[in-house]
Amino acid sequence: MGLKNIVKSANKGIRELDAERLVDKFADLNLTPLGEVAVRTKVKVCGEVKRMTMKPRSGIPSMEIVINDGTGQVTVIFSGRRHIAGIEHGGCLAVEGVAYRERNNTVFLNPVYTLLPHGAE
Amino acid sequence: MAGFITLMATSTKSSAVKRFLIGKPIPTSEDAHQRLSKKIALPVFASDAISSTAYATEEILIVFLSLGAVGMAAYSMLVPISLIVIALLTIVVISYRQTIFAYPNGGGSYIVSKENLGEYPGLVAGASLLIDYVLTVCVSVAGGVAAIISAFNGLAPHRVQICIGFVLLMMVANLRGLKESGALFAPPTYLYVLSLIALIVVGLYRVFVQHLPPIEHTGEAQHLLEMQGSVTAFYFLKAFSSGAVALTGVEAVSNGVPAFKKPESRNASTTLIWMAVILGSCFFGLSILAQHLQPVKDHEGIIPNTVLAQLAEQVYGGRNIFFYVTQFATFAILILAANTSYADFPRLSSLIAKDNYLPRQFSNRGDRLVFSNGVIFLSLASIGLLVAFKGQISALIPLYAVGVFTGFTLSQAGMVVHHYKHREAKWKAHMAVNAVGSVTTFFVAGIFVVVKFTDGAWIPAILIPIMMIGFKGIHRHYTRVRSFLLPSDDYVAPFHTHFVIVLVGSVNQGTMQAVRYAQSLRPDRLIAISVVETAEDRQRIDEAWIKFNLADVELQTITSEYRDLTEPILNRINELDEEYDDDLITVVIPEFVTSVRSQWLHNQSALAIKARLLFRPNTVVTSVPIVIP
Repeated sequence: MGLKNIVKSANKGIRELDAERLVDKFADLNLTPLGEVAVRTKVKVCGEVKRMTMKPRSGIPSMEIVINDGTGQVTVIFSGRRHIAGIEHGGCLAVEGVAYRERNNTVFLNPVYTLLPHGAE
Repeated sequence: MAGFITLMATSTKSSAVKRFLIGKPIPTSEDAHQRLSKKIALPVFASDAISSTAYATEEILIVFLSLGAVGMAAYSMLVPISLIVIALLTIVVISYRQTIFAYPNGGGSYIVSKENLGEYPGLVAGASLLIDYVLTVCVSVAGGVAAIISAFNGLAPHRVQICIGFVLLMMVANLRGLKESGALFAPPTYLYVLSLIALIVVGLYRVFVQHLPPIEHTGEAQHLLEMQGSVTAFYFLKAFSSGAVALTGVEAVSNGVPAFKKPESRNASTTLIWMAVILGSCFFGLSILAQHLQPVKDHEGIIPNTVLAQLAEQVYGGRNIFFYVTQFATFAILILAANTSYADFPRLSSLIAKDNYLPRQFSNRGDRLVFSNGVIFLSLASIGLLVAFKGQISALIPLYAVGVFTGFTLSQAGMVVHHYKHREAKWKAHMAVNAVGSVTTFFVAGIFVVVKFTDGAWIPAILIPIMMIGFKGIHRHYTRVRSFLLPSDDYVAPFHTHFVIVLVGSVNQGTMQAVRYAQSLRPDRLIAISVVETAEDRQRIDEAWIKFNLADVELQTITSEYRDLTEPILNRINELDEEYDDDLITVVIPEFVTSVRSQWLHNQSALAIKARLLFRPNTVVTSVPIVIP
């Protein structure tokens, strides 16, 4: 690690630092990177929980989770409930399903999910 | 914003102090225009001009004795120089009489030159007048304090502090709205004129009838008298330009024509002539007296007594009641003369500000119907100069007068153009008079700059162009902003998708009030954002959100991997902003308002977020105050 790299890392924003950390974390799983998710095909992805939203969706409660794996982020919506035990900030989640685009976001609606309590293990 | 709220909270207390100093606010409807009779107008407008007799003779002597080192030869020069100054005064007064008739609504140099000569000459006149008003305050206050020090020599070490004290006193008095009231101005001005006439008449009687000998000098003064230099043209011109400061303040009458009783122009012109007669005869009388009594003064203030004080002491035979009355009257008229600047500077700066060449604040009137910002600015500038020049008049004189004569020149040149354009009866004769006035004052201004350049005349010579650049820059900015904001005929304010974000720290009454407020805005989309650290935090806030029936509002929780609060919120706002092209984001922040004492304990992170959002386009920041008694 030369001086150049030190200077480089000093100039990195918090977002980039976090992205690098996440890419490292999920490298072993060999799943589709979130930045390359194609819509309307079945994919399996994973990421760290970055945002949790409780929102009423057409009158019924739903929860929205945003996961990020360092290459991009997707929104995962679980309708009919406000919370799922085990899904928490900082926790990791693998998701299997078909994505669609909503505004600028890639969304999975009620996918199959697996908790990854210890990250990539 | 927290700082602003703190200010609001303290303003009840600070306004009590302000009320005590400034007095209670006056409604705009009471802004009655006070009309002055000639007897009252004379002291009001002429105090500045007449007061310059208190130091003009002295400044001539300083140039010859202290700078030119010509010794006794100085006294033979006094009368010739004063005759030239009086000739100059006559020319200027005759020229100004025409301005009074042409501009019955008040024709200051700025207005006349802007109307007739165009933008740049107008700005030169404006800049030089502004500089001059500041210097009038400095020179007059310094002169008034010098009169006190002549009477009470022990005060000499505190010269600068006394000067600053008087400037501050005048600032407060003028912020209270000291009217140009005759009751205030008339007694000191007439007292000064009377004591000056008494001094001259008694003095000349004692010199010519009783053969009063010249003042006996010792020490430094005697040393100066023993010099044997010869009177060169350079020092003659320099002494002349020092003597010409007697003309400062002559333009005051023409600025204030609307304040006279009807017929305004006729009364104003009569007053102007009275003033010129008093000024000229007193100046001439003092010169003759000084020629015979030979007072001495140096430029560094080693000799504490003013020339006027030395004359009075000799004429009245010591420091008796007459001496003290003369000194007091001198002091009083000089302070009044300084005070005329407090009427003129704010008025002129407000005119220039109205034309968009100075910050708009200069045209705002304060509680007492005075242009408060002009008053404060004038005071601070004067204090700065008085400190820089240690309260010595002779150091300030070279800076002075350049501006006065620049103003004279431009105003008279403007009148020439005015006559040429309007071609009223006898316009050729009138034009000739103004042309003579303009050319003469132009030469005098030129002489000033040349002979006093190294003494300080370079300061206005540099400052005026700098001020012009400043004026133009301000004007350009205001014009740009106005043309940017000017709506075209078919302009309709654009529609925005309204997006409201409530920042939530924890669920409490304040948050609930803020959410209710946000709902009342009827936004297209409403979300609440909270930054949480641990899963337990998230759980607590989610549960409270449901418990207090807020669940119909979307609550987003985000983490901050690096514990910073501001950054994740701003990132989130950026993300949300990108979802729509035309949105307007309102960020609602609940803030606690407590007593001044404990305010700093709250809202620190809100303050940081607000500071970052201030310059974000399409973003409105709203604080919902939660008052905690």
